[in-house]
Amino acid sequence: MDIRLLKPSDIPHVQHVNITNLPENYFMKYYLYHALCWPQLSYVAVDVSRPQKTPYDYPRIVGYVLAKMEEDPPDGVQHGHITSLSVMRTHRRLGIAEKLMRQSQQAMVETFGAQYVSLHVRVSNNAALRLYRDTLGFKNEKIEAKYYADGEDAHSMKLDLGFIREQITDQQEEDGDEGEPIGEMGKKGEEVNEDSRVEKKRKVRVGRGLGVGDLVEKNESQKA
Amino acid sequence: MPQLLSAKEQSLFRTVVRNYEDKQYKKGIKAADQILKKNPKHGDTLAMKALIMNSQGKTDEAFALGKVALQCDMKSHVCWHVYGLLYRAVKNFEEAIKAYKFALRLEPESQQIQRDLALLQVQMRDYQGYLASRRSMLTARPSIRQNWTALAVAHHLNGDLTEAERVLTSYEETLKNPPSKTDFENSEAVMYKNSLIAEQGEYQKALDHLESAGKHNLDRLAVLELRATYLAKLGKSEDAVQAYRALIDRNSEYKTYYDSLIEVMGISKDNQAKKAVYGEYAEKYPRCDAARRLPLDFLEGDEFRGAADQYLHRMLDKGVPSTFANLKNLYSDRPKKEVISSLVQQYIDGGKSEANEEPKRSGDTSKGASSAFYFLAQHYNYYLSRELDKAMDYIDKAIELEPQSVDFHLTKARIWKNYGDAPKASEIMEYARTLDTRDRHINTKAAKYQLRANDGVAALKTMGMFTRAETVGGPLVDLHDMQCVWFLTEDGQSYARQGKWGLALKRFNSIYNIFDVWQEDQFDFHSFSLRKGQIRAYVDMMRWEDQLREHPFYTRAALSAVDVYLKIHDRPLLNGANGISEVNGEDAAERKRVAKKARKDAQKAEREAEAKKNEPNKASKDGDNDAKKKDDDPDGVKLAATTEPMKDAMKFVTPLLQFSPKSIDAQTAGFEVYIRRKKYVLALKCLLAASALDSHNSKVHQQIVSFKLALDRDSESLAPKTAEVIKSEFKLLPALLSPKDSPSIEKDIASVLQLPTITFGAAQEALELLNSWKSGEVVTFKTSAEKKWPKAKIFA
Repeated sequence: MDIRLLKPSDIPHVQHVNITNLPENYFMKYYLYHALCWPQLSYVAVDVSRPQKTPYDYPRIVGYVLAKMEEDPPDGVQHGHITSLSVMRTHRRLGIAEKLMRQSQQAMVETFGAQYVSLHVRVSNNAALRLYRDTLGFKNEKIEAKYYADGEDAHSMKLDLGFIREQITDQQEEDGDEGEPIGEMGKKGEEVNEDSRVEKKRKVRVGRGLGVGDLVEKNESQKA
Repeated sequence: MPQLLSAKEQSLFRTVVRNYEDKQYKKGIKAADQILKKNPKHGDTLAMKALIMNSQGKTDEAFALGKVALQCDMKSHVCWHVYGLLYRAVKNFEEAIKAYKFALRLEPESQQIQRDLALLQVQMRDYQGYLASRRSMLTARPSIRQNWTALAVAHHLNGDLTEAERVLTSYEETLKNPPSKTDFENSEAVMYKNSLIAEQGEYQKALDHLESAGKHNLDRLAVLELRATYLAKLGKSEDAVQAYRALIDRNSEYKTYYDSLIEVMGISKDNQAKKAVYGEYAEKYPRCDAARRLPLDFLEGDEFRGAADQYLHRMLDKGVPSTFANLKNLYSDRPKKEVISSLVQQYIDGGKSEANEEPKRSGDTSKGASSAFYFLAQHYNYYLSRELDKAMDYIDKAIELEPQSVDFHLTKARIWKNYGDAPKASEIMEYARTLDTRDRHINTKAAKYQLRANDGVAALKTMGMFTRAETVGGPLVDLHDMQCVWFLTEDGQSYARQGKWGLALKRFNSIYNIFDVWQEDQFDFHSFSLRKGQIRAYVDMMRWEDQLREHPFYTRAALSAVDVYLKIHDRPLLNGANGISEVNGEDAAERKRVAKKARKDAQKAEREAEAKKNEPNKASKDGDNDAKKKDDDPDGVKLAATTEPMKDAMKFVTPLLQFSPKSIDAQTAGFEVYIRRKKYVLALKCLLAASALDSHNSKVHQQIVSFKLALDRDSESLAPKTAEVIKSEFKLLPALLSPKDSPSIEKDIASVLQLPTITFGAAQEALELLNSWKSGEVVTFKTSAEKKWPKAKIFA
């Protein structure tokens, strides 16, 4: 089982795993949006021991984590967000979900200077809760009532990524690096452009559609 | 001549533009009409009005008005630009490019038109044009880094790596101060430049660049991976070893890292040394799977036995459900296959059976004995070690220990599938579903098996338990919206099996359309990615999109569609106008019922669309999004009623042959279509390609015969030149069989049953083939197949 970065060519199979396992689904463009905006953050688990059947076999994805950075964080703090995570039923108990999460968290800090990572999980999903809370150390923030389309509530959870920042600083000191603080990175210019509208639409909370349509360029044709 | 407006009207015109941008379409139309009252032939206003109407979903009227606008003012760049935008909206990019070019000629300074043109050019892969556009955009605004990067990308896509790199360097040289280390755009540009250097094969230069410019790059993983690769390529083994070790410490579940480490350590042929390396990591990372699993690939004999035993104990004790899936690729090695099953047997005999104290989680595979039984059930269900009765025996034992296990029942259903009893398989899978109704995975499997048993109604109902309730039109619409390729494919294949060709084609066309959408999806990223500064991922996406339709999801649906079209061609329907064949004895009344229902549905959809339009608050809130076109052929009746099935099939065949030429299925499908269209040279091309891929393929042999027969039948209509070409090329095929040989070919095909690895599906295919030849072997074949698969329904 390989754990590696998600590539655009993986997306159809990632989409397949998602719609096989979870009720919250997205169309291809939303996956592309993740893969192209934050290519360092999404990971897949690949069954590499599958015998090849045709010259055009694509890697068989058995699990994925789809992650992003919050674009206009309401609290002004750079942080990551887990959009979706699932592992095929046939590949559970291998610790895949945890391994995917750890890779993604590492990159959130290194590349985008994330202070914490947030996610939502169904209140009834005990297995996922155990993973996030007990294994990965997430804390319950609050309950968001009727977060899911079918009316179920969500736990809104957070994990402070300070421990990864410290590891990196230690590492850099060991390497004799000047160890520039990484906390500020990723704060790009404050320009508010079309991109940010994607986020506003996220409030719809249905998990699908998620305003990718709003990536569409504004038609400014007639600025005469 | 530009048409002049009074000052008041000029300001009105600006309002129209603003209204359009703010999606206030009604206001915009109103303001435009005000101008037009006084200046009915004002081209720009007419054009703007057309653009707004287009956003309201009135495409045809918009086009008509757009043309009027052009007639009124051929010299207006606005009119041409709008005309291009209208074409772009209907995805006719070629015409849109032409219109933009006219507009740009009239208004060479317009950044907006230039930008729109550039986006279309790159979407259409007109790299020459894109390069020119990007050059002029850079000249207009050289201070923006994006414009430099974009020009580099244009060179890169156009295949000129050196020039791409040079452009990036030129920009760097304009910088007075080094950008901050946290400047993401710069960080990515550095890595992009590095990848360009490496792509030119200059690894030393790439390494130096990485170690200087890339030292503090924000993309740590990319730096570590690239550095390791360069060191390995440059033969700097010691450093490369360290680099790969660092990568494994970061992520110990990636086969490539281990392979590369072993490569640079120079121990590829030394099993002992390799084993030690893996052992070291297995010890260092107790929860790591790769370091334990990978040595099983190369170890042999007793060493294999020992390692496999350890691995199996670990996995079975934990009850890891994917244990079999993890090991099955070792089954191509016969001794390994046997060792594995005997080890699991020993595990069971070793009395681990009792140890299962842990509380069971709902429906999960459990540990110890049951998980060993489960393993053996999968073992005997696998095609390289298939003994279905044993498989059934073991899965029943496992189920006895854990009657509530979803996984065990799932495998039991699979065993029934391999017996060839789709209804029974579906029944068991449905039972498995009831054991954990909140799990979509088992729900998915249940629906899939219902489709395999040709029960589409039940399948859709099952799927409906997890699709969104609010979606207008129900689960099927939701599954289309969410691009659920597997369901549409299986649903189509199920309809095809039932001879419901219209609905089958409908589904396969949906997949075709999904791939169109996936291709269009890249459009917005041509500008978006540049703004985000994520260049490498963007180039990656472009490469993938170029090959999009080689994806097996496409191939599978396309082959199925071609198959249906062939059947329609070969057996024209009695009354031509409906999508249902006679195979299942569906009578006229049934066909009428379906046609009537189709009509009713269409009327209903129309009424709903009408009602929606009349809701003032909802109308055009979202611009063009809610102007969804209604489907005038929901059941594919029109598709199946085609009078030119072979022409229609080409829509699917062309991408198959273009993107999957190495697929023998694609070539044989191409042959079948071309031979029916009497395109003999093209048919021969497919045949030669198929034969080169696998000259022993039974389908290839069959096609050689039909090619010869078709030529003999049709020799007069061939142009002499064509006949000559065919004659010389056809000789290239091995052992040309004459029609006299057909009994021996049939025997050949019938003998596939004797193959030890024959699958049920392959036997089914062979039977279909024999049937289509009306072969005398059919009866014998059926009898022996029935013996082999006593529980299968179709050989009876």
